[in-house]
Amino acid sequence: MALLKLENVTKRFGGLVAVDKISLEIKEGELIGIVGPNGSGKTTLFNVISGVYRPEEGKVIFDGKDITRLPAFKRAPLGLGRTFQIPRPFSSASVRENVAIGAMFGTLAEKVTVDDSLEIADRYIDMVGLEAYRDKAAGTLTPVEKKLMEIARALAMRPKLLLMDEAMAGMNPKDIDNMVTFIKKIKDEEKIAIVSMVEHIMRAVAGLAERVIVINQGAKLVDAKTEEALTDPRVIEVYLGHSKDESKWRSEVWKEVKNKDE
Amino acid sequence: MKKTLPKYYPLIPVFAAYLIMFIIGFSMPGMWQMVALLAFYCALGQSWNIFMGMTGYVDFGYVTFIALGTYGMSLGITYFSQYEWLGIGIIGIGILFAMFLASLSALLEAFIALRLRGAYFAIACIGINEGLRHFIEGAKIWGGSEGLIYYGALVQALGRTTVNQLTSFWADFSVFIIAALAAFLNMYFMRSKIGYALTAVREDEDAAKVMGINANKYKTIAFLTSGWLGAGVGAMAWGLKLGHVYPDDVFVIHYTVECIVVVLLGGAGTLLGPVVGGLIYGLSKYWLAVIMPGFQLLIFAPIIIIIIVIAPEGVVGLLKSKLKGTKLEMFIE
Repeated sequence: MALLKLENVTKRFGGLVAVDKISLEIKEGELIGIVGPNGSGKTTLFNVISGVYRPEEGKVIFDGKDITRLPAFKRAPLGLGRTFQIPRPFSSASVRENVAIGAMFGTLAEKVTVDDSLEIADRYIDMVGLEAYRDKAAGTLTPVEKKLMEIARALAMRPKLLLMDEAMAGMNPKDIDNMVTFIKKIKDEEKIAIVSMVEHIMRAVAGLAERVIVINQGAKLVDAKTEEALTDPRVIEVYLGHSKDESKWRSEVWKEVKNKDE
Repeated sequence: MKKTLPKYYPLIPVFAAYLIMFIIGFSMPGMWQMVALLAFYCALGQSWNIFMGMTGYVDFGYVTFIALGTYGMSLGITYFSQYEWLGIGIIGIGILFAMFLASLSALLEAFIALRLRGAYFAIACIGINEGLRHFIEGAKIWGGSEGLIYYGALVQALGRTTVNQLTSFWADFSVFIIAALAAFLNMYFMRSKIGYALTAVREDEDAAKVMGINANKYKTIAFLTSGWLGAGVGAMAWGLKLGHVYPDDVFVIHYTVECIVVVLLGGAGTLLGPVVGGLIYGLSKYWLAVIMPGFQLLIFAPIIIIIIVIAPEGVVGLLKSKLKGTKLEMFIE
């Protein structure tokens, strides 16, 4: 059974159709990459799944339950965790408190006390390697540390599905490789499904995902095994230009401009 | 349960301060009035701070709760003093009325105003306060603008000696109890899931919701608690002590401003802050009124400005940063 199922989900902002009749399925324990150029509707899709927006049309079904109309705070305890494109730490609270908040109100909300949550937090802080910053205010971390803190916070929620919004944006290739290894590791250790959204770092997508969903202009373009998806002519078109002839023409124009400059 | 006690260390200086104030007032002749005034400011600051310190919302309409508490006590005494068999129980009924009115208003305000953020929330609260006053005056409920005078009824029901004891000691004493209760609840909230949830909501409400936090629920809990305590102070320090109530006397924004000054002076969001702020504010107001009657506010304004410039986090905030890393740290919150 699919863990998450979207059926013809449409989200409009006035006249703009940000998400256009997207249907997709994510199974338990899958590692999926969602790619698409800037402005293609990926983050809106994430927001629809996590409950920040409600779709105008379609259904969101999580773990067999229709959550289309459920407010965001009721989705987290069902097992939906997420990180944000621009990290959103609770700045004045310490890293430990931030991660503990995840444990306190996630799927374990009914079962854990404050002390338990702080213990769970310690485990995930060690896992992402932020031990040295445990008692530091989250607002003082560097952007990469904030991203790691957010991952720890989302994992402490003990989700069934983790949505990672641009976990690797702005990182150097070495950090990206580390992050890819790390995401695979947490998927295996925590036995959760992960949907990672990536704008254009193909290096990350190729190494990470088992399956790739490409989104362009709000609609689903390709949904296939990673290798298949990344070599699909339509995907190349979206990322690199239009037809073969046109790109040839473009490169010639480019050469001319370069020659003139010199 | 193993680590429950150490967590409540910061309550020690707060309770110690209240105890010292009480002993001074009780044992030194002529000091009770001043100590009662100080306790009044500390209790109000502490109650207001529960909501403001934990959520970051500035409630400019806080005096609504104090006023409704006063009205609750007034109604209890006015309508139930005729039943002799109730005896001292009419005070209990007054408190129940106060809590009921405060809950009603808190839930209504929470429903309307807690959806707003920042300045809009503050304005909505002032609006509700003013609206309620004009409603009482205009609709002529609860005595309208003429208010309720029930001191006589109280004397008739309980006898002069009891009433004297009630108004001169027990009313003020219960303000101390409310102040201590407010400090305890504040500490309890800070250490429980409520505190963590409200920290998250204060820092980033939308992210908090995605983390599974029902922001409105936790804000309402803090608002309701803060309102109950404020109503308690109103019921005791005004309702029981004065024996009368006029809408023009109780729905006065001036008292909200005093709450804000007390808390900002001491340190917003800290546990000890309202005590320190209440003492500084109460003492200087009392003292300035003695040496320079009529000019106290003129002198007080620059003092507040200076303190806020030197210590934007309040006196306790300053103290906290000075004590960081020392053994005393765990006593200051």
